Parts: sequence; structure tokens; C-alpha cells
Amino acid sequence: MPDFTLLPDQTVLLIEIAAALFVTAFLSFIYVSLTTILSLVRLKKIAGNDTDDLLVCDVAYFHCKGKRENQEDAVYISPLEDSFTNGVVAACSDGMGGLLYGEVVSRYVVERLSHLYPMNFDDPDGISEEIKKISSEVYEQYRLGAGATLVMTHILKNKMNFFSVGDSNIILVRKGRVTLLNHKQNYVSLLIRKLSESGSNTSEAYKNSRAKALIDFVGNIETNVMHTSKPIQLYEDDIIIISTDGVTDAVSLNKLKGMLLPEFSAQHMARLMKSAVRNKRLPKQDNFSAIVIKMDRSII
Amino acid sequence: MIEYFTFKHNGESETYKDEVYLTVVPSVTVAVFYGSSKKSTSQVSPEVFSALLAEVSRDLDFARMCTIMDERLPRSEFLVLRIEGHHIACFRKGGVKAKIVINGDLKLLPNGIFGLNDGDRILVATDNFYSHLTNEGILADALVTDSCSEWMNLLVRRISDANQLKCGNLSAVTLLVR
Repeated sequence: MPDFTLLPDQTVLLIEIAAALFVTAFLSFIYVSLTTILSLVRLKKIAGNDTDDLLVCDVAYFHCKGKRENQEDAVYISPLEDSFTNGVVAACSDGMGGLLYGEVVSRYVVERLSHLYPMNFDDPDGISEEIKKISSEVYEQYRLGAGATLVMTHILKNKMNFFSVGDSNIILVRKGRVTLLNHKQNYVSLLIRKLSESGSNTSEAYKNSRAKALIDFVGNIETNVMHTSKPIQLYEDDIIIISTDGVTDAVSLNKLKGMLLPEFSAQHMARLMKSAVRNKRLPKQDNFSAIVIKMDRSII
Repeated sequence: MIEYFTFKHNGESETYKDEVYLTVVPSVTVAVFYGSSKKSTSQVSPEVFSALLAEVSRDLDFARMCTIMDERLPRSEFLVLRIEGHHIACFRKGGVKAKIVINGDLKLLPNGIFGLNDGDRILVATDNFYSHLTNEGILADALVTDSCSEWMNLLVRRISDANQLKCGNLSAVTLLVR
């Protein structure tokens, strides 16, 4: 045993403090290591053997009024702490400006969706039925006097299902290619079908005064929910944008492409998009909202 | 059972120089001839292609059939698929491709014989048809539709949004294994 009797009291005190700090640091190290190992074991159980390839969602959003008096857009993002078990659900709903109560309906839609969480990822048909139920509830309340669009993605373990009613956007950016995944449910789609089947070009369809009129929306009778029956595989650096048309009417997909780069964080991309729409200074700028999701390599 | 839907469109060209060929008896044979290809130096007409395919597809096995077609149409661009039971055989030359939806992804079908599963979806089309689409768009449209005709309609809508179908001959077939 070392003999401390010859040392001054102050030195002994310092040695005791140093020893106490060392023991505290050592115990903390053991605690952190054990917690990390337990988390890894838990994640391995959740994700099977695929944890090495498991991607995480980096999520950001913006939600702006534009030049409108009311905010008729509504957004929903599921709790991110549950993302490994229940996935990430992100949705945008745009109340229809031509109809009364657009604001009320879009809020109602996302609130009802939030109550559906957690959703069964393997049952997109079931989720689609729930959206139809929400639409029927809106119809019963307003009898076509109010409505909203809805776009929603559900991401779990590198796979994504999507759901769409109306003319909002689900955009996927992969390796510099920008693709609108869903189709706008508007009258022009019917005209294109008719013209293409007759062998004509389709320029007349886009000139039609009712081309952009919605043929389906939340609040319609027997709404048709466009949705994936099987999920899409996602890859590292994929960027998914869920937005209302206030964004894409102001800034084209080609312009957005330059802001949606894999080296940026979701937050940075959301900021760039928001600024781009604002900088357009459109006198009748619609409400504009978007959720940006970037698929990142997991820390494990 | 194989469900299919074909699409042929002049795309504002004076003539339709491609061909889409399809037989279901005794086995499903699908072929797309790319006569409108700007790269091709072949002078073969769609009628000659169809007549030759009808002649050789009846009695010959797939490998022999492809050898003969390759010999007799050396500079033509085409793709032939044959589906028998749960197998698909593919032979392609030039700018015609088949893409298959597997596990939420879209893959190019190379030359050879492959297994098929219920629910598999295949798009056969000329490079001109593909040039207005992204793989992600083709995939999304396949996964949101229940039938080959709906899938094709959504693909045509995408091309229309890009150029109002004023882009030269468009030829494609969608196939769904049920």
C-alpha cells in the first residue's frame, strides 16, 4: 500500500478527487457502452439482419400562408422516435380554395390520419380504405361543399408506400432525376386517354378550360385513392418531397432539382425551397407547404 | 395467366414504322420491332418482320427461333419474349428493352431465361418510348395500378405531359403475370 502520510493534505485531497473522477468516468463509459449494445440488439431484433443497410429519414418541413388570408394547407409528420418500429408517415393536405371550409377540412384530414398512427405498413389497401372513410365523413358533413387533396408517404425499413387523392405532389429525386410519383387526378387525364386512344396528339387536352379541374378529392363520393399495392425500394440519398401545389405552381420541378442535392440536409433543402417560392413574389401566391425527407445512412 | 395491353401511336409521324406482335397460342410470344429507330440502317418493313416471326415462332424452340431471326434481320432492332409456364425467355437487339418490376425495383431484363412469379409486371418498349420516362415513374405507375391497361394509360400520360405525344412512333406492351 502506498504511504500517503508524508504528503501534504492538499495533495492527498487532489489524488482523492482524481481517483473519484476516474471511477466516475469509468462507470459512465461502462454505462454508455452497455446502453449502446442494448440499443443495437433491439434494432437488430426490429430490422432482422438488415441493420447494416438500414437507412434513416432526415425530415424537415415548411408551412406558409403565401398571399392568402387563411392557411388551408395542413401537414402531419408521425413521431420520429417510433420510426424504427412503425415507420415515418408524412402527409400534406390542401383545402380546396374554391369551396367553403377548405381550411377546416384539410385540418380534419391530417388530424384523422394522426389518429390512425401507427399504421400497418403491410396493408396499404387497408390504409386506403381508411382514407376513403375520412373522405366519406367529409362528404356526409359538407355534401361536396368542401374538400381537400391529400398526399401521404409511409416509409419503413428502406421501403415506401404512397397515397394520393387530388392534385398535390409526391416527388422522388434519385441520382439527379426528378420524378413526380403520383398523377394529378384532374380532367386532363381523361382527355389525354381519349385523344391517345384515337391516335391524335394531346395538345388539345391541355388547352381545355376545365383541364385542371379535379375529378377526385377528399370529400368526394366514392373517392379513388391512388396508392401503391406494394412498396417502392428506397436507396441512400433518395430525396422525397411531399408538397401542395402552391410549391410547384411557383417553382417548376426542373428548378427544384438544383436545390435537392444529396449533400444537403433535409432542413437546408426545405429552406432553399421555401426561399425560392418566396422570391418569386407571386401576387396571388397560394398557401405553400412541403415535407422534405432525405434517406440517410444509419449511424449504426 | 398473362394479361397484356399494347400501345401503338404514330407520335405525329407520317407513318408508323414500328410493329407490336403478340400471339397467345401455343405459348405467349411478344415482339416489338423498332422500325422507326434513327440509328437503324435496316430497310426491313414491319410486315416482313411480322411474317418472319409468324413463320418461325410456330414450331421452333426459342433459341432456334432467335438464331434465325438474328440471321435474317441482321441490322434490325427488335425484342422477342416467350412466356411458358413460369418462365420467360428474352432476346433483344438494339433499342428495344424489357423492364421487370421486382421487389419494389425496376430491372432491365437481359437476354436469357428467367423465372416468373405471380404479380410480376413487365414493360416492353422502344427506346423512344423509354426516353420520355424515368425508371422511378415507370415503377410508381406499375405499383399503383391493378391492370395492364391502367399502367399503360399512366405511362402515356407521362409522355403526353412531356411532349403531347408529338415525339415520333411510340410502341410498348405491358404484361402482368396472374
